[in-house]
Formats: sequence, structure tokens, C-alpha cells
Amino acid sequence: MAKNPSEPRVSALGRVGAWVATPQLRVRLGIRAVLVFAVLLFIYYVSTAPRFFSVTNATNLGARTAPDIILAVGQTMVIIQAGIDLSVGAVLAFSGSLASVAYCYWGLPVWPAMLLGLAAGALLGFINGLIITKGRIPDFIATLGMMVTARGVALILTGGLPVPSHLTAITLKAYLPQEIIWLGSGDILGFPTGALIALLIVAAGWVILMHTGFGRALFAVGGNREAARVSGINVDRTKIMTYTLMGLLAALAGLVLVGRMNSANALMGDGTELQSIAAVVIGGTNLFGGEGGVIGSLLGALIMGILRNVLNLHNMQDFAQRVVMGLLIIGVVLFDQLRRRYGA
Amino acid sequence: MSSSLILRAEAIDKSYPGVHALDHVDFDLYEGEVHALLGENGAGKSTFMKILSGSLPKDSGRIFLRGQEVDIVGPYHARELGIGMVYQELSVIPGLSVAENIFLGRLPKRKPLGTVDWSEAMSQAKRILDDLGVDVDPRERVGNLSMGEQQLTEIAKALSMKAQILLLDEPSSALSDEERERLFSIMRGLQERGVAIIYVSHRLVEVPQIGQRVTVLRDGAKVGTLPVDQADEATLIRMMVGRELREKFPKDEIQRGKEILRIQGLTVRGVLNNLNLNLYEGEILGIFGVLGAGRTDFARALFGVDPIDSGEVFLNGRKINISCPSDAIELGLGYLTEDRKDGLILRLTIPANITLASLKRISRLGFLNQGEERATAEKYVKELDIHTPKLDQKVEFLSGGNQQKVALAKWLCSRAKVLIFDEPTRGIDVGAKIEVFRLMNDLAKQGVGIIMLSSELPEVLAMADRILVMAGGSFTAEYARGQASQEDLMRDAVVK
Ligand SMILES: Nc1ncnc2c1ncn2[C@@H]1O[C@H](COP(=O)(O)OP(=O)(O)OP(=O)(O)O)[C@@H](O)[C@H]1O
Ligand SMILES: [Mg+2]
Repeated sequence: MAKNPSEPRVSALGRVGAWVATPQLRVRLGIRAVLVFAVLLFIYYVSTAPRFFSVTNATNLGARTAPDIILAVGQTMVIIQAGIDLSVGAVLAFSGSLASVAYCYWGLPVWPAMLLGLAAGALLGFINGLIITKGRIPDFIATLGMMVTARGVALILTGGLPVPSHLTAITLKAYLPQEIIWLGSGDILGFPTGALIALLIVAAGWVILMHTGFGRALFAVGGNREAARVSGINVDRTKIMTYTLMGLLAALAGLVLVGRMNSANALMGDGTELQSIAAVVIGGTNLFGGEGGVIGSLLGALIMGILRNVLNLHNMQDFAQRVVMGLLIIGVVLFDQLRRRYGA
Repeated sequence: MSSSLILRAEAIDKSYPGVHALDHVDFDLYEGEVHALLGENGAGKSTFMKILSGSLPKDSGRIFLRGQEVDIVGPYHARELGIGMVYQELSVIPGLSVAENIFLGRLPKRKPLGTVDWSEAMSQAKRILDDLGVDVDPRERVGNLSMGEQQLTEIAKALSMKAQILLLDEPSSALSDEERERLFSIMRGLQERGVAIIYVSHRLVEVPQIGQRVTVLRDGAKVGTLPVDQADEATLIRMMVGRELREKFPKDEIQRGKEILRIQGLTVRGVLNNLNLNLYEGEILGIFGVLGAGRTDFARALFGVDPIDSGEVFLNGRKINISCPSDAIELGLGYLTEDRKDGLILRLTIPANITLASLKRISRLGFLNQGEERATAEKYVKELDIHTPKLDQKVEFLSGGNQQKVALAKWLCSRAKVLIFDEPTRGIDVGAKIEVFRLMNDLAKQGVGIIMLSSELPEVLAMADRILVMAGGSFTAEYARGQASQEDLMRDAVVK
């Protein structure tokens, strides 16, 4: 067809300029630029961190991120079914404390004590699920309530003191058993036990999500709850099972953490609920449910773990580290939203 | 054509990963014209319309409005240019009122403070709804409306924009004949005012009723444009599918078996009044009714989606209790929802959606048999001709009609003994419809009882062994196959 004569002539550069000027493209380019910048910054800090590439540091990193990874796997499932669990840090502290108290003060043998801790975590998760489904309370509110409650119960249980505390250790000769310490600080052929457990949990999480009917139901409930219901999926049961599993995993993470710290206390795992959510989101799981996976969450948890580790190696103050982590979480969620909206 | 060219699209091209959705499509539209746009499911109709309405960027090509080249950057821009669109998938917001939906983002304001002028909004909305002949209160929450009423709200929204170009993507798919007639008369009124309309539909009979010209797309490419008087149904079908179709309704005579389902006195207060019904093995029972007759309410109540107030249901002579859909599925029932989005998980893949109601059957000890899942899905993709670049495509990336086929496949594979199909062929193209009917025949031969809710008269008349007419929440008449005419059904469908 004939060229429109009234069309003004534009130079090639001008055309590129006009192209970049469309709002969508600007945002897309902006997103890419920020991403590249963040990756470069990350690499810079990692490579300049003293002793980052040492066996001790790697082992330390593995042991430290293990509880985070375990929590992130559970949180991934919760978020895929369009929920959120704010109570995982508190459940972790409660279950870890309970197992320790049961062994040190109540005289339970190791394995029953650990089983008690795990069962208690699962029970709290189950209660979360019941409140959310049968009580029709939003996930956010129900687990927020559980977060405060479980923390309180843990404080009562331990009297606000570490278990075993310095005093009890001396007077009662109450020490944590080797089995629990092995979970958090031991190794198998030089590989930290906690990290191995975490990887096992990631594998199990992957199998559940990708290869079981339950996993499929999680995606369905998170993607379209009503459609899942009309297709015969028992939405309430699915949700309750998810939260129970999450509670169980939080308890497991609690035992690993207790083992690493060589003692339990009611305030441990503070902030891990937000970290686990951040790891899941960094890993690419949709915060609104229906899409995602545990492999991404594993990477997310590792990224956060490495960042914390690197900041430590750079001797950054703990308070400032909090600020960095907080900004990272906000940045990632924002980034994720923009990316989805503009398809970059 | 004497009137002037208002829109011209030149070599519009658009690709998705693995799909060439539009292949250099040329298109023109004249003032006061209704231009029908036809094509099989996945031919690219919606994609084309979305590009014109600015909700989708094109890869290449040019668009001219009244001779002036325009670069439509977004829906708001399109609206400023006088282009309004009714999307194939409802885009109303369920939590807002009808009036708020109609005037979304441009509610009439009162002068000094810029507060919303609600009385003005309500009366304007009322006027538009009255024009459409819709009897809904503008204050009603849209979520409480039936699907047809939601579609009419959507149409009212587009009309209220006083667009010069109106893009209607299957606006009539949830409407029965009466509402459709009213829509047509409004369209004729707009035409007289010079408004140009692009109209997408899978009901070929509508084309000569309302259109002046028709353009057919196939696999993203334009096959041709014809004036309607040269476009008889056979020609259109040949252009769309590339071959002749024999029977439109391949109905097999099937000896009906014993009673499989009996419903006695099913009541939902204020909605359904004392409904009685029997269904036999191998029978297709059509239930016909106009908008608001209560067909969907009936299906939902039977399937346990909504609670019932009283009534008894017997399956194979045994009284059953259905309190939620999973009970119903457990007992061997299936329910294709009227709005496919109520039954699909858009972010899951085709196989995952097709097996969603059969999860137990395709898993062993809780583990999915993914080989079997893929094989099942593959079979239905082939049988129903689901257009997709790959089997593992997420359903959200399929065209509307192909999504509908996935929703259907889910129930075809569920091995249910009683199937409730609410508008099974909505949005499905002529060729695939025949396949759907064939599959319904096959199911009937295996002894499945099918309740087919439909507002599509020819379909009910041709496919149903027995027809119940529903009006105002009651069954008002019953006909055996071949005993009723269209007029009979329409008469009984009107509330007395
Ligand atoms: N967002 C998307 N991502 C990937 N592919 C898409 C997307 N949207 C549409 N497609 C593909 O583009 C093709 C054209 O789709 P379109 O929705 O335009 O079809 P249609 O003619 O409107 O069909 P229908 O009659 O079923 O509504 C289809 O093959 C579809 O699979
Ligand atoms: Mg379409």
C-alpha cells in the first residue's frame, strides 16, 4: 500500500527511543537492569568475602540453612494452596523446646522425646488447619494467632530459660542427647546431617507436589478453589493436611536447630516465618497460589543463607543485616509482581 | 459499499510460543456495518479483537482509523479512540454492583467535590439495562446474577461507552433466543447511528440475521471475506473447516435401560419448586429454559454445590445423600458447569485438568500414574480436536472454545454414570460440536444417563430423547423426542 505522505520521517535512533519510551518496555528494561545489578552485587560480595570458599564455611553454611530449607519446603506447599503460615517460627520453637524439656527434665528417652516434639508440631499445624477451614478464618489471621499462642506456651514450658540452662546443666546434669546434637551439628561422611535431612525433605516435597494426587490437589485448590471443589476435591481436608504437614516440618526444623545450638529456647527461630515466605517467593512460587515448586524454594533459601553468611563474613552488624534482609524481601516481592505484570 | 471506511487493519501478525495465532490478517470495517468474524476454535478471532481493543500488543502490522494510522497502546486508549469491546470471557467484577460495573472507572460525578453521583449512575444504568430488556436492579451485586445476566451487564458496559466501533466476542453464547433477539435489535439501532460492529459467534444461523459481511479465519490466516448473501452455511463451514460436514446432529437411537436417577420434590426455597424427574440409562434428557428459569440452580442443587431445603434423590433405586460435590462424584455423578472457568484450573496443564475429577482412578497408593494421565489426555485432545501447541500447555493459554473442550473432557473421562451438562457446546465450533454429540452418543450406549441443560433449541430438539421445559424454577412441560416444535418449547418456557 502507498505510504501515508503525512507521516513524519523519524531517524532510526528516534525510533529506538520511541520504542523504549512505551511504559511497558521501560518497566521491562528496568526490571532486567535491577536484576543484573543485584546479581553482580551479590557476586561481588561473595567473591570478596573473606574465607567464603573454605570447607569450614561451606559446612557451617549447610548446617545453618538446613532449618530454613525445611521450613521453606512446607511453606511452599502452604502457599501453593493459596494459604500462608505465619506460625512456623513459633511452632519450631515450641516443638524444639518440648522435645528438649521432655528429655532433660521429664526423663523421657531420646526417641520418644523427639517423637513428642514432632507430634506436637503436627498437632499445632492440624489445629491451624481446623481453625482455617471449619472456622472459616483467613489463613493469615489464624496462623498469626497461633504464632503468638505457641510462642507463649513455649515460654511457659521453658520458664523463659534455655533448655538445658546453665544452672540445670550443672545441678541436674541435664544435657541434650547426642542424637539431637548430631541432627544439627553432626555429619555423615563429612556432610552436615542437617543439610542432608533438608535435601531429603526437598526431594520428598518435590515427589509430593509433582507425583501425588495430594500434590495435584494443592495446585487445584490454590489455583481455583471453587473449581477444585466442583471437581470433587475435598478442599477442607486438603488444607488441613497441608497445615499438619507444615507443622510437622516446623518441628523437624526445630530439632535440627536445637541440635545446632546445643540448647533449646522459647525465642529461637524468631523471624523464620518471614524468611521462609521470602525464600518461597524468591524461588518463584506465586504468592497467590496455584503455581510453584520446592526446587525454587531451595534456591531461595540458599540465596538468603548465603547472603546472611556473606554479610557475617564481611562483619556487618546484626542490626544492619536485618535491614538488608528486609529490603531484600520487599525488593523480591515487588520484582515478582512487576515481572508478572509486564511479562519480563 | 456506500458508507465510509472506519477501520482498516493491515497484515496484523501475532505469535505465541508454538502458535502463529494471526498470520498477516487484513481486515476492513465500514461505518454502520456488522461484520461477522468466524473461524474454528483457536483460529485467532479473539486474538484479533484483543489487538484492536488494545488489550494485546501485535507483533507487526498496521491499524488505520478513518485513514489515520494509530498505535493502540492499551484498553483505555482504545476507549478514547471510540473502540469498545465485550470479551469472550466475562470480565465483570463479581463484588461490585451492576451499575458500578457498567461505569467502572467513569462513574458520573457531582460537581463541586467530585463525589459520585449515585442517583445519576443508577438511572443511567437503568436506562441502558431497559434498552437491553434486562430485568435486573442496577444495585444488585453482579456475583448474584446468572451467567446470562452477567453477559448482558458486560454488553451494557460496552454500550454505555458510546463507542463508534464495537467488538463483540461471542456475546450471545450465554443468552437464549429471546435475549439474543433483543441484542440484535439493539445492534440494528446502533448500526443506524453509524456504529460499526465486529461480531464473533459460533452460531452460523446468526450471520445472515445480523451481519452484512463475513470474514473467515483459519489457523490464524484469513480465508476470505464475503457479503452475507453469498455466505450460505455450507460455504461458511467449508471455509472454516476446509471440508464438508455431514450431519450436524448425529443422533443415535439408543434403547433406554432401567431408571438410574429419580428426583422427588427437590426444593430450594424461592428458587426451585418441588422438582420431580427420572432419568434412564442411555437416555439424553434435555432441559430447556430461558434466562432465569433455574436450570443452573437445579444442577448446582443436585450436585451438592448449593444446599437444598427438601427433596429426595434416588440412584439406582437407592436413596442417596449429596451434601457436597465430592459426595456426588463418589456416587458416580458429573457436572459440567455453565461457566467453564468455574470448573477449570487455568494455571494447570491440559492433562492435569482432564484427570482432575478422576484423581483416585489414575493414582496408585496416592501416586499419580503420569503415563496413564498423558495417554488419557492425548486421547481426548485428539477426539475433541483441542488445538494446542503441546500437550502440557497450561489451560489459560488455550482459546475459549478449546478450554470448553478440556472442561468437557474432564467429565467424559470421569466414568460417571449420570452426567449433568450445563450448556455443553458453549463456544465450541461447528465441527467440534459434532464430535461432542458423538461422544455423548457413545456414553449413552454405555448406559450413562445424561441431563443436558441448554438454551440452544435446535440442539435440544435434535439430541434429547426427552425434553423438560423449565420456567420460574418449575418444570412446566415434558415432551418425548420429536413431539415438540420450537414454538411449543418457547411457549412453555415463558412464565405464566
Ligand atoms: N496467552 C496465550 N498464550 C499462548 N497461546 C495463546 C494465548 N492466547 C491464545 N493463544 C493461542 O492462539 C490461538 C488463537 O486463539 P484465539 O483465542 O484467538 O482463538 P479464537 O478464534 O478466539 O477461538 P475460540 O473460538 O475458541 O474462542 C490458539 O491456538 C491459542 O491456543
Ligand atoms: Mg475466542
